[in-house]
Amino acid sequence: MQKLLVAAACTAVITGAHADGGNYAIDPTHTFVTFEIAHFGTSTNRVRFDKKEGMVRFDRKAKGGRVEITIDMASVNSGVSPFDSHLRSKDLLDVAQFPTAKFVGDKFGFAGDQVTEVAGTLTLMGKTHPVTLKASRFNCYLNPIFKREVCGGDFETVIQRSQWGVNYGLPAMAPDNVRLLVQVEAVKQ
Amino acid sequence: MRQHRGMKLSALLLALAAASAGAQPATYVLDPAHSFVHFEVLHFGTSTTRGRFGPIAGVVTLDRAAGRGEVGLRIPTAGVDTGLPFFNARLREADLLASAEYPEAYFVARNFRFEGQALAEVRGEFTWRGVSQPLSLFARRFACRIDAGTEVCGGDFEGEILRSEFGITFGLPLVADRVRLVVQVEGRRL
Repeated sequence: MQKLLVAAACTAVITGAHADGGNYAIDPTHTFVTFEIAHFGTSTNRVRFDKKEGMVRFDRKAKGGRVEITIDMASVNSGVSPFDSHLRSKDLLDVAQFPTAKFVGDKFGFAGDQVTEVAGTLTLMGKTHPVTLKASRFNCYLNPIFKREVCGGDFETVIQRSQWGVNYGLPAMAPDNVRLLVQVEAVKQ
Repeated sequence: MRQHRGMKLSALLLALAAASAGAQPATYVLDPAHSFVHFEVLHFGTSTTRGRFGPIAGVVTLDRAAGRGEVGLRIPTAGVDTGLPFFNARLREADLLASAEYPEAYFVARNFRFEGQALAEVRGEFTWRGVSQPLSLFARRFACRIDAGTEVCGGDFEGEILRSEFGITFGLPLVADRVRLVVQVEGRRL
C-alpha cells in the first residue's frame, strides 16, 4: 500500500506542475470510469477504462470548480479480449478515429460544503452533449502519505449512447442506456 | 472456519455432471464472456476501489418448477485486474489475496430461493484463502432467453463479505472491512 501511495504521489506531482491553492491533481490510482450496460436483458456487462488524466479546480467556500478528465478510449478493458477489440472497432467506439473522450464539468452543485453533482459536457466520438454526474459519496481527508488534502468520491450518471452515435446492437443485444460509474480522488497541489 | 481447497467443488461438479444425464433439473455451464465477479471496497471513506476477477468458471443446475438449484463456481483471484499492474501485484501478495497458495476462491450453494420463476437468492459457502464462510448472493436481475436454439439463463447478483473474516486485515480501517461482491453470470444449457 505504501508503494502504491508513493507512486500515486509522484504521478500527482507530475500532473499538477502548474498547481496553486485551489488546484487538485487527479490521482490515477483512485480514478476510474466504469460503464455498465445490460446484455440481452439478462446480465450486466461492466467495462473499465484504464488510462486517463485530468485536473480538478475546486473551491469549497466559493462553491465552484472545474474538472477535466480525458479518457484513453483504447484502454477499454472488459476482461474479454474479443469484446475489447470489438469495442475499439468502427462498430462501437471507433478508437482509431476518436482516441480520446473528454468530460469537462464546470457547474458544481453543493449541499453545505459537500459536492452533490458536477454538470458539464461529455465529448465522445466527436460529439458533445451535456452530462450531469451525481455524487453518491463525497469526502475530503488528510492523506497520511501525501500529507496533503485529498478530495474525491463516487459519481454516476446514465447516458443514452445513441446521442453519441454508438448504435451497434440496439435495442435487443444492448439497450441505449449506459450507466457510468466514476471513482475519483484528487490531491491538493 | 474450515480449511479446504476445492475438493468439495470437484465433487459437486461431478455430481452435477451425473445429474445432467437425468431429466428434471436443467444444467448450465457458465459463459466465460459474461461471467465475472467485481469487488468494491471503500478507500479512506472517500471513493470506491473496484477490481475484477474472472472469467469465473462453473456449473449451475436449476429446477425452476421445483424451486431448487445448485451451483459451484471457481473464481480465479490470482488474475485480479484493477487496471493498475502494480496494485494487482500487491493484491496477490501473501497478506492480501495470497495467490501463490490460493489462486482460486470457490462458491458452492444448494440453497436457492425463487420468487415465482425468478431466482431471488442463492445461499451457500464462500471459500477464500482457505477459509469458508456462509455467503448469500441476492439477484438484482435474473432472466432466461433462447440464444441460437440454446437456453441461456443468467443475471446480476450481489453479496457482502467482511475481509477480516477471511484473514485479510491489511489497511484496516482506512480501507474498509466490508467488501461488496457484484456478480455477472450467464450460463448456457447443456
